[in-house]
Amino acid sequence: MKEKDGIIDCPQQQVIIYVEKEDGKFEPMQTGSYITKNFLDDYELKRLHLEQSLNKQVASGIVSPVYYYMVLEDLTISELAARVGIRKGKVKKHLEKEHFISLPEETLLRYADVFNIKLEELLTTGKQKTDQTENQQPVS
Amino acid sequence: MMSTIPYKHKMAAHCESGAVTSLLNNAGLDITEPMVFGISSGIFFGYFHKMKSFAFPTFIVRNKPGSIRNNLAKRLGIKFHTEKFRTPDEGMKKLDDLLDKNIPVAVQVDFFYMDYLPEWERVHINVHFIVVVGKTGSKYIISDSYLPKLVELEQSSLRKARFAGGNMSPKGFLFYPEYIPKEIDYRKAIIKGTKKACFNMLRIPIPFVGVKGIRLFAKKIVEWPSFARDTEHLSHEIMKINVLLEDQGTGGAGFRFMYASFLQQGSTYLSKPEWTELSKKMMEIGDGWREISLFAARIGKSRELGQDKLKELGTMIAGRADVEELFFRRLKDSLN
Repeated sequence: MKEKDGIIDCPQQQVIIYVEKEDGKFEPMQTGSYITKNFLDDYELKRLHLEQSLNKQVASGIVSPVYYYMVLEDLTISELAARVGIRKGKVKKHLEKEHFISLPEETLLRYADVFNIKLEELLTTGKQKTDQTENQQPVS
Repeated sequence: MMSTIPYKHKMAAHCESGAVTSLLNNAGLDITEPMVFGISSGIFFGYFHKMKSFAFPTFIVRNKPGSIRNNLAKRLGIKFHTEKFRTPDEGMKKLDDLLDKNIPVAVQVDFFYMDYLPEWERVHINVHFIVVVGKTGSKYIISDSYLPKLVELEQSSLRKARFAGGNMSPKGFLFYPEYIPKEIDYRKAIIKGTKKACFNMLRIPIPFVGVKGIRLFAKKIVEWPSFARDTEHLSHEIMKINVLLEDQGTGGAGFRFMYASFLQQGSTYLSKPEWTELSKKMMEIGDGWREISLFAARIGKSRELGQDKLKELGTMIAGRADVEELFFRRLKDSLN
């Protein structure tokens, strides 16, 4: 790639790419991220829709907040189980609301820690957010 | 309370080759990121259609995490101190002790807990490498190759990131250079690294790695809709091809461009004029991967994700397999 073809104005995310300079040398150039510059709005719109859909599912009792964050953070059941240190079979149960509500605080804290959220956020998922996210306007 | 160790921070195309290069540069060895990448046989391809740790099919475009450091050390005679820990307390104490001795330390982390990055970039992946260069109060000073400047990271986040569980769990892994030889035979190292890269791309008898992996990716992409929750999920995953190829880990296109730079630099050590031609060819291969990534981003955004578009994408990917097969055969022959 020629140097001029790699120039992308995106201060939000800078990257290094190797380009062909005018003297023919292939050297690093700091430039902007193509996808962040051109498609961040689309990412945020899809993320918002996903949050809304998951919130509804949690609010209607179909799934638990553990499922909400597992999907949002792109984890599989096996991966989540390994991260929280709980057997896969048990994690599967914790994805259902009826099992989730009886979980001890210690277990909930383990999930919150992996999801990088406060315990309160985990416990209120699907309760307040449904209204907030539905009122939010897509970025695009 | 410690302060920052004098450390020359530099952005890089990739986290592991960037962290290794930066540690070596700061320890006095003048070596570029493409040389680190090429000598360590960093160029690779692997396609994973179904794996229990990935929620969706995915691919990798560099060798196994850790291999860059390992292969480079073997081939250049460098010694890195490496260590894993049984408990977070031990791992964090060791890090503090090293910083107290003014030793910058690379650590393996889960990318997700790098709070200094924007939310849209952060994903759970346990193979990000950063260099810790100091501590002030409860915050560590971090040199992350993906950022233009040094940044701060809370102790609690670093601890969590170094001891995240799951696939490729870091277990607090850290490393730093202990010994760098005064005389290095780059010629020999370049040849070894290149031969191994050719082997990895052409001859590993596993159907999902190397050129065969690119072909499998090309064939299987039409099956991606069966893994998706809905059109937006499929669009997200298709657009991740662009992220994987360009931004995160500076994959296919980015790595191919960096490999072109390695071949150009390597040609001066080997006195092989044909490598100048091969480096240009690799640059063109990178351009082809870039076309794929831009196409994937476009159809993802427009939600044109029917079988016809996915087949078109598959054909473009298969085209890369053909040119890379020819390329690596030529590269291999150039060493005979």
